[in-house]
Amino acid sequence: MIETSDLKKVYKNGTVALDGISINIPDRVTAIIGRNGAGKTTFARIVSTQLMPTSGNARVNGLDILKDTKKIRNIMVSIPQEASPIGVLTPMEQVKLFLVGRGMSVNEANTVSSATLDELGLREFKNSPSDMLSGGMKRKVFVCMALAANPDVVFLDEPTTGLDPISRFEVWSAVKQLKGDVILTTHYMEEAENLSDRVILFEKGKVLEDGTVKTLLSRFKGKVRVELHHGDNYDVKVGSMKIKYVDSRDAEDYVIEGNTVKAITLDDVFLIHGVEVES
Amino acid sequence: MKLNLKFSLLLAWYYGFRTIKRGPSYVIASLSSPLTLLFLVYIISRGELVRFAIAGGFIGLVASVALSSSGDAAFLRLQLRIQDLYVASRVTPSDYMVGLTLSYLIFSIPGIVLYVILGYFYHIFTPLSSIYLAMILVLLVISTSSISFIISGSISHVRNVWGIAGILSIIMTVLPPTFYPYTYIPKVALYALFISPATSAAVLVQGIFGLEALYLPALYIIIGETAIYFAVARLLTRWREN
Repeated sequence: MIETSDLKKVYKNGTVALDGISINIPDRVTAIIGRNGAGKTTFARIVSTQLMPTSGNARVNGLDILKDTKKIRNIMVSIPQEASPIGVLTPMEQVKLFLVGRGMSVNEANTVSSATLDELGLREFKNSPSDMLSGGMKRKVFVCMALAANPDVVFLDEPTTGLDPISRFEVWSAVKQLKGDVILTTHYMEEAENLSDRVILFEKGKVLEDGTVKTLLSRFKGKVRVELHHGDNYDVKVGSMKIKYVDSRDAEDYVIEGNTVKAITLDDVFLIHGVEVES
Repeated sequence: MKLNLKFSLLLAWYYGFRTIKRGPSYVIASLSSPLTLLFLVYIISRGELVRFAIAGGFIGLVASVALSSSGDAAFLRLQLRIQDLYVASRVTPSDYMVGLTLSYLIFSIPGIVLYVILGYFYHIFTPLSSIYLAMILVLLVISTSSISFIISGSISHVRNVWGIAGILSIIMTVLPPTFYPYTYIPKVALYALFISPATSAAVLVQGIFGLEALYLPALYIIIGETAIYFAVARLLTRWREN
């Protein structure tokens, strides 16, 4: 469980990355979603003890991020955004090294690494230099580290950014096998819906929305999203796109008029705040 | 300071040895500069200073590999985000630094072997001088790697990484009396160049091999430099960032 109280981060150049975040994250898999620059990575780095906050505090499983740093580092794994394995090392060597760094014996690390890489479908590649792996495989090596270390808490910072759809599915499948609590940052709504029990929306260092996927979508019950190509009677305008939320029974009329009708997704939770979503 | 020595040694083995095995071009690149200087010294001095150049080759090779590694350490931190991965774990900055430092020593082994062969043909070794040389190289790799960590910690953008590493390597290994007798330069210049651990290492090695008079204060200087640079690197290495 993670609790933060009035967490703030202002960088040296004056950028306010976090503007007083106070949240509780009790659920098993939580997704923090938001656009680039929303504060997701700063939040993940502060809570996983990689970055100092400017003010405020946070607790991970009851441990203070400022006072109990060592203890927190023992119970969690944090996979940084866009982390990439060292090219000359094989997945087996990277995972083994990571586990030995966490205090495992070399022999045990060898056995666990091998078994976990096999479990995640990396058997064929585990002894190939990592610079020969695809982007998805490289990300899976990091998820494998988290799985093999079996920590209480795992932070995954944008685990699928820049990956093709197949690689993204591969990483999702690996993430689903993690046993501890997972905090995932992403700007893909689909990823949040697919993997998490709960979603927290960040924008400009603040929390916009916080709830289960079901709760966040409940306000749109029985509705569909219409992207208007004709008329000006819209609910939300994002860029040049005009959006109207209508009863699903009326959808056909809008299609006949030449508009585009789409099912409601987590994107719409963002859109109603006037925040553009990334596809 | 409690070290996770298993981690440091495994990192050194993987990062040092695997790079030699899987990326031999890096080894050739690291050898090219000292070997070119050896060739130039041989030609210009008509063979007279070649023993200085061989003795200096050990210093130049180890120092340039370790100093170039500032680019490497910054690349691991900024581009691959490997350092962040270890920050959020039990690994301490010392475990990480010792591991990388030892890997640079392993990485220098092919070059050291080549210089040992050259030294053998030019009769510059005695059993005792070889032991002293090994000890000086260990101090040198620790001090120069520490400088690398200090520099790499202050690099904020990947685009600056390799340029800064290259400049640092040349200034701190080619300018000092690594490939020429230390008596060739005025004492004031020599004292100024002591800022680079390669200077004190070269002065000592020239004395130990009987190429010049042994200047013992250089021993205290290199020990002091190693302790200071390591302590400063340990303090300034960006582990948990502010």
